[in-house]
Amino acid sequence: MTLGFTLPDRFGSQALGGCYAPETLLQPLLDLEAAFRSALDDPAYRAELKGELRHFVGRPTPLTPAPRLAAQLGLKALFLKREDLTHTGAHKINNALAQALLAKRMGKHEIIAETGAGQHGVATAAACARLGLSCTVYMGVTDMARQAPNVARMRLFGAKVEPVEAGQGTLKEAVNEALRAWAARCDRAHYILGSALGPHPFPTLVRTFQTVIGEEARAQILEQAGALPEVVIACAGGGSNGLGLLVPFLGDTLKRIAVEAGGHGPDLGEHAARLDGGRMGVLHGCKTLLLQDDHGHTAETASISAGLDYPALGPELAALILDGQVEVRRASDEEALSGARLLCQAEGILPALESSHALALLPTLAAEGAATVLLGLSGRGDKDLSTYQSRSGL
Amino acid sequence: MNPLLPFLMAGDPSLEALPQLLAEAKALGLEAVELGLPHSDPIADGPVLQAAAHRAIQRGATPRRVLQSLAGITDSPDVVLFTYLNPLLQLGAAELKRLLAPTPVRALLVVDLPFGEEPAFEAELRAAGYPMVPLLAPTTTLDRARQILAERPDPGPGAPFAQRFAYVVARLGVTGTGQGLDLKPVSERVADLLRMTSRPLAVGFGLSDPRSLTAIRRLGATPVIGSALVQELAGGHGLREVLAPRLVDDL
Repeated sequence: MTLGFTLPDRFGSQALGGCYAPETLLQPLLDLEAAFRSALDDPAYRAELKGELRHFVGRPTPLTPAPRLAAQLGLKALFLKREDLTHTGAHKINNALAQALLAKRMGKHEIIAETGAGQHGVATAAACARLGLSCTVYMGVTDMARQAPNVARMRLFGAKVEPVEAGQGTLKEAVNEALRAWAARCDRAHYILGSALGPHPFPTLVRTFQTVIGEEARAQILEQAGALPEVVIACAGGGSNGLGLLVPFLGDTLKRIAVEAGGHGPDLGEHAARLDGGRMGVLHGCKTLLLQDDHGHTAETASISAGLDYPALGPELAALILDGQVEVRRASDEEALSGARLLCQAEGILPALESSHALALLPTLAAEGAATVLLGLSGRGDKDLSTYQSRSGL
Repeated sequence: MNPLLPFLMAGDPSLEALPQLLAEAKALGLEAVELGLPHSDPIADGPVLQAAAHRAIQRGATPRRVLQSLAGITDSPDVVLFTYLNPLLQLGAAELKRLLAPTPVRALLVVDLPFGEEPAFEAELRAAGYPMVPLLAPTTTLDRARQILAERPDPGPGAPFAQRFAYVVARLGVTGTGQGLDLKPVSERVADLLRMTSRPLAVGFGLSDPRSLTAIRRLGATPVIGSALVQELAGGHGLREVLAPRLVDDL
C-alpha cells in the first residue's frame, strides 16, 4: 500500500481497479478517501444525507409490481425498482448528492462533473443548487445534441455546461476533460465522478452511495412478495446502477445480470459491450475491461443510449463478472427500443434508453424459464423523447 | 547542467522527421529529449499536445511504429519516453524491452503510473535499464516527495541525466503554456527538493519564454519546453531555430 490508501482499492481475482492517476491528483485522492471515511463514521453526515435522500430526492423509491407486462411475457411476477421516480429522474442523484455533501464537508465549494446522458450532470447541478455550490459540467458535443433537454435543465439549475469537442464527443471525452479540469483546480474543487469508475477511491465511493437502491429493493420485495426473485437485472454503462442494485443481492442464491449496450453491430466501434469485445487495460485511472485497439488506444463505441456509451466497465462490476458473481448480457439499439415500447404500452411508464436495455432482456429471461424478476428502472425517458419519436414513433 | 529538456511528439510533424530532430537536438549539446508516445486519451495534456497526439495517430504513429522508427538511431540525445500506461501494458514488458533495445530510449516517464501500481512490470523494465522517472507535483507533500525519490531511486552520478532526473511539475493542471506562470511557488519547491536530493531536477508545465527558462536554470534545474516547441515544429519551424535562442540565458 505504498500510495497510503486505507480502503481496499483492488477488486476480484484479477486485482482490477487501482489508482492509475497523474501525481497531481494523488494527494487530492488521498484527501478524498480520508474525508469519505470520516464522513461515513460521522452520525451527523449520515443523518444529513438520509434526510436529503428522503425529503429532496424522494427516497425510498417504490418497488412497482408490473403484472400486465409480466403476464404478457409469461413471467409469474415482475417488479420495477423505480429510480426514475427520484428527483431529477435517475439513480444518479443518490451519488451526486452524497458527494456534494462530502465536498461541502471538505470545504470545497466548486464542483466539477462529467456527464454522458446528462442525468449525472442534472443531478449534480441540482445538488449544487440545493447546497449552494458552484458547478461546472463537462459534456461531449454529440451527447449535448442528443440529450438537449438535460443541457437546458443543468443551465436552469445554474450550472455551467462546458462542451467537449474532442473525439466522438461522448462520455469518454467528457471524463478526460473533467480530469484535466480537476488537475487544474484540485486545490479548491471537488470532482463528482458519476459512475463507479476512475481512480481509487471513486469506484468504492460511488458504489457505496448507490447500494441504497439494492438495499431498499431487497427489503421491499421481501415485504411485497414474501421471497427473493429468481433474477435481478440492471443495465450497466460504467456500472453505478448495476452495482447499486446488484451488490446488496450478492449473498443471495439468485441470478444477477448486468446488461451492456449491444449498439448496432458486433464489430469494434459499433457497440459498448465490454465483456465480449474488451481486454484488460487502463483508462481514466483504473484497470478494467476496456474496448481498445491493438495499440492500447481506446476504441470508439456506439449506443443509442448516451449513458451506456462508454468503453470501460467499472472495475468492481468487471471483477464480479469475471469472477462469476454477475452474468453479462447485451441488448442492441433495436432491442432496447422494443423494451421501451413494451413497458410504455403495458404499464404506462416511459423508461430511459439506458433502462430499456434491461427491459429488452425480459422476453429472453421468460423464454429461459425465469418466473420472478426484479428489474432496475434506472431512469425516466423524458430526456429520450426525441430519439423515441424519430426511431420508433412512440 | 543540462540546459534544456525539449519535448517532441512522436509522429508530429512526422515520424520521418524524427531522426533529423534528434540529431539537431544532439548538435545543440542537449543531454536528453522527452519523446511523447501519442495516446488516444491524454488526460494530463493540454490542447496543444492533445491535438499533436491526434494528428500523429491519424498519421499512423502507433507505439510499435514509433519505437521501430527509433531503432538504430545513435546520433541522438538520450530519449525519455513520455507515455500513458495502457499502450505499454498492451505491448507487455517482454515485447516492450525487445522494441526498446535498439533505440536511444534510456528511461520511461509514465504519466499515469504511480509507483506500486504495476510493481512487476516496473521492476522488469528497471532491471533491463529503463527506470521510471519520478514525478513531483505541486500537490506532492515533501514527505511524499521523499518517498517517491526513494521508490524510484537515483542510479548515481555515473548514470546519464535521463536516468537520474526527477520531473517537477511547475503548476496545477495539464501541459501547455497558458498565461504567465507564477515562478515563486516552483522556485520554493525546487529549493526544498534540492535540499532533499542530489539528483538533477527538470521543471516542466507552462514554461516556454526565454525569461522563465532562464529563471529555472538559475534555480539549478533544467527547464522543459513542450507545447511551445511542438506548436512551432507543427508550424514548419526548425528545432534549432526554436531552441537555440532559448539556450542563451535571458538576463
